[in-house]
Amino acid sequence: MGRPGSNGPSLLRKRLRRLYHGGVAVERLESLLQDAFPDAQELRVEDRTGGGDHFQVTLTAPSLNGLSLLDQHRRVNDALAEPLRDGTIHELRIKTRGTT
Amino acid sequence: MSELQSRIKDVIENEPVALFMKGTPQFVMCGNSDRALRALREAGAPVTAVNILPDPAIRQELQEVSGWPTIPQVFVKGELVGGADIAQELSESGELAKILAEKLGSDYRDGAEERVVDVLAEARAS
Repeated sequence: MGRPGSNGPSLLRKRLRRLYHGGVAVERLESLLQDAFPDAQELRVEDRTGGGDHFQVTLTAPSLNGLSLLDQHRRVNDALAEPLRDGTIHELRIKTRGTT
Repeated sequence: MSELQSRIKDVIENEPVALFMKGTPQFVMCGNSDRALRALREAGAPVTAVNILPDPAIRQELQEVSGWPTIPQVFVKGELVGGADIAQELSESGELAKILAEKLGSDYRDGAEERVVDVLAEARAS
């Protein structure tokens, strides 16, 4: 419980830091997925919480055609193996679709 | 293979439906685990749950067995179905009930109950 004004700057800093880290992580995941799915017609990575570690991946690509949902998600997990391993991704939601 | 890993394999292979989750069905500790559990409940699945939180080794050994990097993980008759997103999608499309009926028999809902297995206790005891 400090003075009313004393929370302001630190809160703002915290938000800016979150925004920064979230953005960096989103870019990294996007580029990994772009490399793995150069044919993607839709590719979105969203930072679900603004904390830079909970992500939603939405992907539509012809290269997913004919794969089971399990194998489609496997391909995404494989593409993101490193950030999954190093703790960048704390939580991952995946929505995939082929084009047929 | 470690005792813990063989115990995890036992659960996967011998339980009709195995759910590796954060927390227990009575006290779920993660949104994704909750989504997977809800999907299984909606399909009327007999869920055997394993809480992976008590020891990080459970998650590591599980990942080695399944090759799946995230929690939760759903298995039906020894086969990986997927994580929370897949369980939810399959439940919403009605596909999950079909898979359960196919693999466990059409009467799989009869007497379906939720159990919790402690893989650490089993590993210690054996």
